Amino acid sequence: MKIVTMDPSICVGCKNCEYSCSFVQKKDFVAKDSNIKVNWYPEDRFCIPVTCMHCQEPWCLEVCPANAISRNENTQAVEIDQEKCAGCKMCMLACPFGNIHFDTNNKVSGKCDLCGGDPTCVKFCISGALQFEEEEDAFYSKRLVLDNKIKKILGKGNSENDSRD
Amino acid sequence: MEIVIIGNSAAGISALEAFRKYDQTSKVTLISKETDIVYSRVLLPYYLSGKLSQDKMVIRDPDYYSTMQTTIIQNDVVEICEKKKEILLADQQTIAYDRLLIATGSSAVKPPIEGLNHPQIFHMWTLDDVHQIEPLFKAGKRALFLGSGFVSLKAASVATSQGLDVTIYELMPRIMPQMVDDPGAELIEQKMIDSGAKLHVNTATTKVEKKPDGTLVVSAEGKEPLEVDFIIVGTGVRPNISFLVDSKVKVDRGILVNQKMETSVEGIYAAGDVAQGPTTFEEQHQIHALWPTAVEMGKIAGANMSGKSLDYSGSLNMNVSEFFGITAASIGRFIEDDQNEGFVYQEREKDGYLKVVFVQGVPVGGIAVGNPELVPYLGMLRPMIRKKKKIVYPKQKLFQYIHKKMASGSAELV
Repeated sequence: MKIVTMDPSICVGCKNCEYSCSFVQKKDFVAKDSNIKVNWYPEDRFCIPVTCMHCQEPWCLEVCPANAISRNENTQAVEIDQEKCAGCKMCMLACPFGNIHFDTNNKVSGKCDLCGGDPTCVKFCISGALQFEEEEDAFYSKRLVLDNKIKKILGKGNSENDSRD
Repeated sequence: MEIVIIGNSAAGISALEAFRKYDQTSKVTLISKETDIVYSRVLLPYYLSGKLSQDKMVIRDPDYYSTMQTTIIQNDVVEICEKKKEILLADQQTIAYDRLLIATGSSAVKPPIEGLNHPQIFHMWTLDDVHQIEPLFKAGKRALFLGSGFVSLKAASVATSQGLDVTIYELMPRIMPQMVDDPGAELIEQKMIDSGAKLHVNTATTKVEKKPDGTLVVSAEGKEPLEVDFIIVGTGVRPNISFLVDSKVKVDRGILVNQKMETSVEGIYAAGDVAQGPTTFEEQHQIHALWPTAVEMGKIAGANMSGKSLDYSGSLNMNVSEFFGITAASIGRFIEDDQNEGFVYQEREKDGYLKVVFVQGVPVGGIAVGNPELVPYLGMLRPMIRKKKKIVYPKQKLFQYIHKKMASGSAELV
């Protein structure tokens, strides 16, 4: 399936993705309502946009005590049915990437639904860090492969303290 | 193969679905004591608060059992005969099994207080309880909540928001010992006071009497008698194992299971609130009466009943809810003691309180009380607790490290 992929090396931290996502849902520019979040660490000059990866085995879906999360037949996106959602927040605790947020007005959880198959954040990303592509092309496998290749060449081990260059 | 599942909630249903993923042909019978529909206990407070309508309590379609090719029997199991590989139901029916799953869950208990058997004294545990409570759950009614655990406090919180006159009696020095730490409890207690709910800690209830007009009078040590219209008892739950008294299945407080969810008897498995099984902290037998644990255990049990041999990586307690307008979430071992060290990422004054507890550099637990947006941080922490990863950088950079890992394309997090 196609998902929104994220390349942090070209993300400039403009947050267009957050604002456009919020606008397309709520007609407002409230970052808190966005289904995509730019995690910004200025002291290390590092930012990464993170949004739902629509996992093959979504823990949020399995654990939801209201059976409110399901996979969309057309887009394959993992979606929250906000009519069924109790707002218990179990999904927020379940997602290992922290991709689910809370709508304090409607008292339900919210997450990316790929805008029905035409994601808005990708359209507004000014650097091209966000793409809508097949998950096999997702950035992590690309970078992992490249990373490992470079490490092999340089003869380095796998260090937790890898700096970003 | 003849498969029998006793239990119709999180563990039983999770096991059924896992079983059917691998085996679509074996005969499956599911015995349910309460209902012939699948409902979620977690949703009951949201019905009383008006957030969800009654039909939303049911979490599977009406044709669920036929879709799952499962025979549902609404009955009580009174005995297991391991020799004959049969279970005996209350109506004397016997059902044969090749593989049996006991997912009978737990039931709310009543503390030994005199007079706690009067009418208008309820638990907040089943759909039936909620139907009984509903007519009294109106603005202006006076309610006493015994206990300040998750269930009781959630009910008290909902009652307060619905305009009831709420008093809580807690035996211990502070609220929610299983779910929050001292600073977290303080934050919630402040919100309780602000909302008008009356909290009494260190309070031992001694007696309940009934006046002719139906009012309940509650006596407690060192307190004036309290008059209320109804009482909700939320002082804990106990695994449903009474029917195993003559059985060979080894029990402690619950049914002892190994990493494969197997009991001491071959062919018999247990999962959910009734099971006492492995935790991620390498304890062998603990009861975590939590929905996510029940789902995980059921998944392993169901797969193994179909012939697989999966190991459960162990339960990692995780819980979250909103109480009196503030969100509280906790995971793992979040109480600081002299064996571990806590690191506070966010002080209480701003959007709330976020703390992670480490043992020699390995995160073992966390707690968040405040804004709901703190909850995902504990979600991100969960895989690190499971993997027992020691951090080799300053603790302040924990979440930055997690995001760096995502950025570097680490497949470990997936």
